[in-house]
Amino acid sequence: MVPAPILDVHPPNGPATGEPSSGQPKSQKAMTKAERRELQERQRAAKAAKAAANGVNGKAPPKPKDQATPSGGSAKQKPGRASESQAKTPVPAATRAAEKAKAGQVAAATDAMAKSQARGLLIFSHFGLPKPVSAAKGDIHPAIVRLALQFSTFKITGANARCIATLTAFKTVIQDYVTPPNHTLSRHLMTHLSPQISHLVAARPMSITMGNAIRQLKLDISGTDFDLPEQDAKDALCHKIDTYIRERIIIADQVIQETAGNKIKDGDVILTYARSSVVEKVLLEAHASGRIFSAIVVDSRPMLEGKRLAAVLSEAGIQCTYLLLPALGSVMSEVNTVLVGAHSIHTNGAVYSRAGTALVAMMAKRHSVPVVVCCETYKFSETIQLDSFTKNELAPLGDLFSSFPNTKPRESLTLENKPNLEILNPLYDLTPPTCITAVVTEVGVIPPNSISSIPVALGRLL
Amino acid sequence: MAPELHTIPGHRAVETLVAKLRRRQVVGSREAALETALVLRQVVSKARFTNIQQLIAVIREVGRRLAEAQPKEHSVGNTVRRVLHNVRDEYNTAIKDSAASSRNVYSISKFVLQGQPRKHSANAAKSDARITLKENDPSDPDSFARALKPVLMEAIQDVLDELETVYDNVSKNAKDHIHSDEIILTIGHSKTVETFLKSAGHYRNYTVIVAETAPSYQGHEMARSLSAAGISTFLVPDSSIFAIMSRVNKVILGAHAILANGGLFGITGSLLAATAAREHSTPVVVCAGQFKLTPLWNLYHEYGALDFADPSNVLGFEDGKLVERVDVVNPYYDYVGPELVDVFITNDGDHPPSSVYRLIKETYDDDDHEL
Repeated sequence: MVPAPILDVHPPNGPATGEPSSGQPKSQKAMTKAERRELQERQRAAKAAKAAANGVNGKAPPKPKDQATPSGGSAKQKPGRASESQAKTPVPAATRAAEKAKAGQVAAATDAMAKSQARGLLIFSHFGLPKPVSAAKGDIHPAIVRLALQFSTFKITGANARCIATLTAFKTVIQDYVTPPNHTLSRHLMTHLSPQISHLVAARPMSITMGNAIRQLKLDISGTDFDLPEQDAKDALCHKIDTYIRERIIIADQVIQETAGNKIKDGDVILTYARSSVVEKVLLEAHASGRIFSAIVVDSRPMLEGKRLAAVLSEAGIQCTYLLLPALGSVMSEVNTVLVGAHSIHTNGAVYSRAGTALVAMMAKRHSVPVVVCCETYKFSETIQLDSFTKNELAPLGDLFSSFPNTKPRESLTLENKPNLEILNPLYDLTPPTCITAVVTEVGVIPPNSISSIPVALGRLL
Repeated sequence: MAPELHTIPGHRAVETLVAKLRRRQVVGSREAALETALVLRQVVSKARFTNIQQLIAVIREVGRRLAEAQPKEHSVGNTVRRVLHNVRDEYNTAIKDSAASSRNVYSISKFVLQGQPRKHSANAAKSDARITLKENDPSDPDSFARALKPVLMEAIQDVLDELETVYDNVSKNAKDHIHSDEIILTIGHSKTVETFLKSAGHYRNYTVIVAETAPSYQGHEMARSLSAAGISTFLVPDSSIFAIMSRVNKVILGAHAILANGGLFGITGSLLAATAAREHSTPVVVCAGQFKLTPLWNLYHEYGALDFADPSNVLGFEDGKLVERVDVVNPYYDYVGPELVDVFITNDGDHPPSSVYRLIKETYDDDDHEL
């Protein structure tokens, strides 16, 4: 027989009905009802406390008080206050949490009302806007802090660039790392790196290249010899990182330059989209080796990266034409080859690349122009994405890249969200394998439906 | 043979409109069509003619001047052709006897002989007032004109009325084309499409995705206007058209001109949207008034109407070093082939692209294809 708790909990429908002044069974029923309710509220409090812990710390406890006072006057508050004065610790906590839960529910109700008015806009809500980089939690290495800032302000863009920058920053972190006593480097370094990685991910979602590189790094860390002295182990890791960058990116790019360069003949018109570091190298290399060709650079908002590519190419002496994506239909009939880069390639041969690449590939297919994707093997991802929605990133609102022409008055442009109007700037899209002719990698020129054999070609069974 | 422009009474109005068209001060095909119809009304009301050929020659001369002033603005020529067709219609109605029954019978022989199917029976109603016409009457040269002018003015007024009610008629059945919770993609800022979507928005709750349409960025205007009317709107850059196409239920485009083969000229970017829709098997709907029907073919090049806009909208002079080294292309229109369009919604009903040739035959006369 559980002793009934000595408390005076009033049922929410009004005080005094469930008082112990009534007969024993009735009061027991009331008590047990109260007990049940208290258990429920304790569970709800636990859930709410967990939610509060995930949210911003330190705001949860004052919140129910603040919200309780404006929404005060309801019968729920009075029994809560009354029983608080009873000074039983589980009860005030339970009721405070209950208030918080109820206040949260009230707030959620008004939120839901506002949301239902704009219900059509929720269909893209899973994209998630980039969150501002919060103050670093825990000790984040200054190199990582700087890198995160560069990522979130889009100073470093492009799959290769971000990967190289990340690995270089990690080299600094590893060199500055000191194994605490009673820990081994191979175990503890990974836990040391995890918050750094989360900080980078919070700044901007990780690219596949970064993911693959970090996975390789973790593999290397866990494989370090226990007996090595610390400095040697750190040097070995940095050396492995250097090798990774050199082999999988730099030398791979050189092989791709040669292979793809062979596809460019004299008098060709090559079309490229936005700014891929690999395609830039291919075109510059082909021009340096004496081939005469002209380039068409197609560009588009939100990032308008093609301008820089056009600048680099024209500086090198290549004849360039620059146009925006909607004008593509007018020039496609004169193009010989389309060369594009990739952010990552998937097992089914689909290419995940800058938004707009799919349109270029589609138009090229309509005009029977071959589409050649230049991509290193380290960009290979085992997942299969079916459309551009599964995983995408939105650019922040506003004119971050100064991509609107100066001739357009700013008032005529819509730069921020209004009621019933939401601005979406997806940064990536997925080109289906049917639109791609070939993928040039450092292990060879591969048709899109054989992309799944890349791990085998690399001599690895993934 | 053709009358000189300065001899035509009312030529000053024509000259004014020619100047405005040449300077591109008339913005929008409907505006151009309205102004043309008004000028033609003036010319016809002041014209002096003793037989129908003279009047037709006058109208054709005026039409040719106007069309030459702005050859990319096809609605000008279309309105002239429309007026000519209506004038000829009225004339034929007036001189025939009240053997109205024979005219309403659809006969293959008539079709083969005249090359035109049965006219709409609306014209038969006007033949109630029987007009006795004396052509080329030396004693009373103005009698012909005097007798015929009232019906001609009515005919031109018909054209004007149709132009003024274009938006309402196109949007009449909007709610049948769009149903609840649909996602519609549109580009550019076509007033016809805007009215269509707003009228459907009164009855249905749906979402519109507007593509920005660089470099004119007309999509921003459209998005603001639609969201102000209470329709959930998304504004996306053109680069994501393929990305979102898998979610889109319909693509609704506006047209600058509908060509004789069922293709159309639309603002640049229409070809991207229509092709992406075809890849995803999404229906493409084009909303346009009938005054945009043009007896023209896009035979010689894949470009749009060869109209190029200011390149500084693409690459401005703030990138000075780049500007002097690269070529910049900024076409204003796109040509979309008939195989990419599913239906044309006009103020005269819905038509598939394969029957546009028949519409053109019914609306215009064969002689007027070349003004």
